[in-house]
Amino acid sequence: MVHTGRTKTLLFCVLFLVCSGHVFASNTRINCVDCHDSPRFKTAYKGSVHGNIGCTGCHKSFESLDRHVMLKERPALLSCGTCHSEIEKVYRNSFHYLYEDFRCYDCHYEIHSLKKERGNFKIAVTNNCTRCHANDEYVLSGHGAAVMKGNKDSATCSDCHGLHDTRAYHTSGEKYILEAREFYNKTCKSCHSNREMMVRNNISPDNVRYYEETYHGKVQDLGYSTSVAGCADCHTAHNILPQSDPGSTINPKNLVRNCGKCHPGIHPRFAQYKAHPDYRDIRRYPLLYISFISMVALLLVTFTFYWTHTVLWWRKVYWEKHRLEELGIKLESPLTHEEGIQEVRRFAVKDRVMHLFLVLSFFGLVITGFPIKYHDTLWAKVLIQVMGGAHNAGLYHRAAAVVLIVLFFIALWRCFRFIFPKGLGSKGRSGWKERLFGPDSLAPNMNDWRQFKGMVKWFFNKGEYPKFDRWTYWEKFDFLAVFWGMVVIGGSGVTLWAPEKASYIYPGWVFNIASILHSEEALLAALFIFTVHFFNTHLIPTKFPMDPIIFTGSYQLEELRRLRALEYERLVREGRLDELKIKHPGISLKLVSAFFGHASLWIGLLFTLILLWTFFFG
Amino acid sequence: MDPEGTLSLIRDKKAVIVDTMSDLECMDHRIPGSLCLPLEEFENMARELLKDKKRPVIFYCESDECLRAGVSYDKAKAAGYGEIYILRGGLPAWKRAGYDVESVERVKREPVVSVKRGALEKMAKKKQGIFILDIRSEDDYSKGHLAGAVNIPLYKLRKRLKEIPGNRTVLVVDENGKRSFLASCYLINHGFSDVVRLYGGMEYEEPQKWKGGKG
Repeated sequence: MVHTGRTKTLLFCVLFLVCSGHVFASNTRINCVDCHDSPRFKTAYKGSVHGNIGCTGCHKSFESLDRHVMLKERPALLSCGTCHSEIEKVYRNSFHYLYEDFRCYDCHYEIHSLKKERGNFKIAVTNNCTRCHANDEYVLSGHGAAVMKGNKDSATCSDCHGLHDTRAYHTSGEKYILEAREFYNKTCKSCHSNREMMVRNNISPDNVRYYEETYHGKVQDLGYSTSVAGCADCHTAHNILPQSDPGSTINPKNLVRNCGKCHPGIHPRFAQYKAHPDYRDIRRYPLLYISFISMVALLLVTFTFYWTHTVLWWRKVYWEKHRLEELGIKLESPLTHEEGIQEVRRFAVKDRVMHLFLVLSFFGLVITGFPIKYHDTLWAKVLIQVMGGAHNAGLYHRAAAVVLIVLFFIALWRCFRFIFPKGLGSKGRSGWKERLFGPDSLAPNMNDWRQFKGMVKWFFNKGEYPKFDRWTYWEKFDFLAVFWGMVVIGGSGVTLWAPEKASYIYPGWVFNIASILHSEEALLAALFIFTVHFFNTHLIPTKFPMDPIIFTGSYQLEELRRLRALEYERLVREGRLDELKIKHPGISLKLVSAFFGHASLWIGLLFTLILLWTFFFG
Repeated sequence: MDPEGTLSLIRDKKAVIVDTMSDLECMDHRIPGSLCLPLEEFENMARELLKDKKRPVIFYCESDECLRAGVSYDKAKAAGYGEIYILRGGLPAWKRAGYDVESVERVKREPVVSVKRGALEKMAKKKQGIFILDIRSEDDYSKGHLAGAVNIPLYKLRKRLKEIPGNRTVLVVDENGKRSFLASCYLINHGFSDVVRLYGGMEYEEPQKWKGGKG
């Protein structure tokens, strides 16, 4: 039928031209629709969006009407990009053009009667795309269903994939694993962090923020989307349904399988992990809230106390030093100069070796862990890159953690041997209380309280510098705080290291608490070591800039006498002082100690400055 | 050889540019002036189409992941051609560089639904007697194929169209999901009303887990 119709039209045109004597005449003027007279060209075109540009707006003119009528010359098509240049520019890089060689009219099907979309644009896009991409998952999903109901906020195909700039990797999350994930994380977040849009659709506007506070979100924000779960890994790309829908991947019935995609071998209670909780919401997450508040309180109390202690100490020492200098007073000593400079051992080799590994593992943990905590800073991104990515940083973090855990158990064993040097038999047990609360023990006793009070009085010029024995109260605190720290940070760390196995012991929401404890305790430990410990040990004006004793193991007798008067007197009384006298440390040990000590000190201080800057201004 | 180099080689040294895809794809869209020499028919057609062995030859593929140009290169080398090149990045690179393509006999695009492998069973229950058309090469087909699949390589599709039953649902299967669309459109244009294609082709695997990937 069509062919018959065309033939008739053609014959009509030829006859018309012959009868009117115009064949081969050059000045013949007829309209295209005189011959191309189907309703498509004659009527529909005029009302179409391109109706005002005429046939030659898209079809180039031809040289000879006669040849055209005889089907020997076809007018070439102008590129749509002649007018739609911006669209053409992006379309030339789109998947549909590069790989499927789609042309404009392959989607804008009937170009001659094309009209501007009057109804809901999003519905039109959905209808058009799903002609090929008949993705039931999308059409039935929360987004698709909402679009079809007329919701203009909900995402249609083009909101995520672009309209004319559909990228090649969008369809292949399996192949372009990084690009696809970065794409969907960014795309999902662009709407879901739009507060107004989320509020008017009864969706939490802070879900993105809460997600970014979790381990998944932090690592993803650092730029390592392939290592952790992003939006579509849990919610899928298209089958995004409300939690209450049985078909939703986040429906409680499907959650175990969903989490199990990345965490194989989990106990079902693993799925009780909260993927984007608000730990500030006491009503919905009371335990998380309590954990967070407790840690903040612990940080505040610890630093309020110790920083005050530190400032007062520094003031007293500095003022005292100034007073002595001003008055030209030289402190007298009952020891002769030769006796005073005699080296005495304070730390045994194993103490020093343990401390060395402690420093290394601590720095390792700080440098590999803090970039995750402060993921949105430039320094964090640089550090992680230097370490070769989040995956490598994670490996180094675990290696350093193993060193620390081993040290902790060695320390525990040494404590045990200190209290029960001859085992747990009746002989070994006798005298354990004396050893535990004796002068060589790191366990606190009433003397510490008295010495603390004496210290405070000294700060305010109300008394003399207290007499200390082998361990001061702040040294005991340093040591004992590690026990608390190791339980909190080590316990939470091991949990987060192997959450799959941990799920056989406790439910998934414990991982949320573990994340908070690990993160805040890390901040407490790092800031404490880099400020309080560093000041007490190195930066106090009498020792500034660094006391190498923990590396060299010994100091001068005069220092022992002045700073640890009780210990000095006790050693003299018991006649044990001579046992501790050793030769002056060699130059190589001093050099290595100074280098390692200074490096640790200044790296720690620099890190503190970065942390404080990030905390207050980041 | 990058697209710019390819263009100047064609212009300055009269190089022959060869599309190694099937003639159906080549006629649908190709670099202007290309010869259509499907890889599978190299031995049969090269002597006829590429007579001058001293003239530079540039082979290209449909996509940047396709190996057909490389295999054609090896065959041409073995056949004694002197100056052989491959267009790096294939046709997409040519298009990205802003150069046009020509259509000699365009296959009208039609809506074609793709089905994931996991949904095949469900579809088979709904539609009885699905005709599985495997358009990969004979070699690929012999290495493994879907049960019941019939092999008509794309370069033979025009000639063997009659072998496909018109009254059945046709499931078109290719290597990686990139060629079945055009083949499906071709079938629809030739009167097949119910044509679907396999999502991602034979190489596609459902994602299992992501863990361990590096950024």
